[in-house]
Amino acid sequence: MPETRSFRLGVAGPVGTGKSSLIATICRELADELRLGVITNDIYTDEDARLLRSAGVLDPDRIRAVETGACPHTAIRDDVTPNLIAVEDLERDFAPLDVVLVESGGDNLTATFSPALVDAQIFVLDVAGGGDVARKGGPGIARADLLVVNKTDLAPYVEVDVDRMVKDAEAARDGKPVLALSRKDPASVAKLKEWVRHMTAQVSTGDHTPVDPGPMAPHSHVGEDGSVITHVHTH
Amino acid sequence: MGTAELVALMLADGRLPTGGHTQSAGLEPAVRAGLGADGKQLHEVQTYARDRLRTVTRVDAAVAVVARHVILTGRPPEPPPSRVDWSAPGSPSREPWSPNHNPNSRLDATAEQAKPGGLGSGLGSGLEVVERAWAARVSSQVVREAVRRQGRLLLRLAGRVWPGVGEYLPPDGEIARPIVLGVVAAVTGLSAEQLARVVAYDDAQTVVSASLKLLPVDPAEAATWLAALHDDIEKLVADVAPLTDVDKIPANAAPLIDIHAQNHVTERMRLFHA
Repeated sequence: MPETRSFRLGVAGPVGTGKSSLIATICRELADELRLGVITNDIYTDEDARLLRSAGVLDPDRIRAVETGACPHTAIRDDVTPNLIAVEDLERDFAPLDVVLVESGGDNLTATFSPALVDAQIFVLDVAGGGDVARKGGPGIARADLLVVNKTDLAPYVEVDVDRMVKDAEAARDGKPVLALSRKDPASVAKLKEWVRHMTAQVSTGDHTPVDPGPMAPHSHVGEDGSVITHVHTH
Repeated sequence: MGTAELVALMLADGRLPTGGHTQSAGLEPAVRAGLGADGKQLHEVQTYARDRLRTVTRVDAAVAVVARHVILTGRPPEPPPSRVDWSAPGSPSREPWSPNHNPNSRLDATAEQAKPGGLGSGLGSGLEVVERAWAARVSSQVVREAVRRQGRLLLRLAGRVWPGVGEYLPPDGEIARPIVLGVVAAVTGLSAEQLARVVAYDDAQTVVSASLKLLPVDPAEAATWLAALHDDIEKLVADVAPLTDVDKIPANAAPLIDIHAQNHVTERMRLFHA
């Protein structure tokens, strides 16, 4: 891996689940031990970039916004070129960086990063979006490298059973990690830090192979003997 | 030539991953400035696309055609010495895309990186003359930066899909998109007409499809506007396709488009890069 190549970590998930806040938390907690940069994909404003800059957790020059032409899904999946160039320029201008966080514009449950853009990705849900969302599944929920169930401190107010939501998510993820997170719960923040540290080490040593969470859905073929075979491609 | 025609179709296809979804060809700031009157005068979108075909897009297409010609003939055009001092506002050697711009990715590097077995360093400077001619005709720094960023996005893909492009251009250069298109055309066998048509169609289609995100437009209506622009596109093609001389590149401009672009870059609420 060239010296300027960082661990590129995508953060996706529906609007308002706390992607920017999660990135701010990672910056606040890890900026002292990892050299970080951030690319945001705001859909209509530079709100996310401004929020992160004003949070004061990272040198504002290391936070750059990429326009998506109202196509956040396209920007992280079908045509990653503008994002890829932004990541590479950031890596070059602040070389060497350990991690570049790429924040997707908030989209729907089907939007996941292309492996051409990121090495690993976090998919963010929140309890306020409804306790049943994790059960609904989708490529990000089922196959992102980490699923975060965010804002657990709000669970009592929206009548969501966090343990149940996490169990639903774990069932949908076939053993991949699920993290119930609240900014206000230091133990959960510590787990997030540990995951980012671990992945950074794995990627830098070449022990991590990017996986593509989506968008293939279960589908059917007619087998050689005429029977119908329904399956999901392994990822 | 069937292959060249398929290349032209690929280049005109918005699904080609070159960042086309981030562009509105200046329509977004124009709408903000009142174009379309909040949906009450939607036909202005078509008028705007036509105005571009007659001005800025005509220049871009001519630049692409001349760049193609320079590659195919292998003869660098004579730089006009009397104009060297002022004819190149924002030539790549003086105006990096960003403060931290990588000098290795500039067009200047073409000459240095020209392969010994290639057409030689003269060609690199030949393209440089064409790029400067383009820059001299685009007065807005913001527009120049946006077009060079678009060129880099295309170059990145073109270098992989049509490796011959790498013989003439550095791998990750911020080079005006019409220059990159001209090189792609030369390498893949596009005619000057096909090339000019791609430039013109792409610009008009960029305006029309961006209108769907910016104004209350019926997509079928938008396609009708595009079809109605075909005569204007063919007029542009007929005008610029025969050009071979840098000095004959037209210098049509649209100052209001430049002003809109300058405003757009500091705007906080925007969907499109430019």
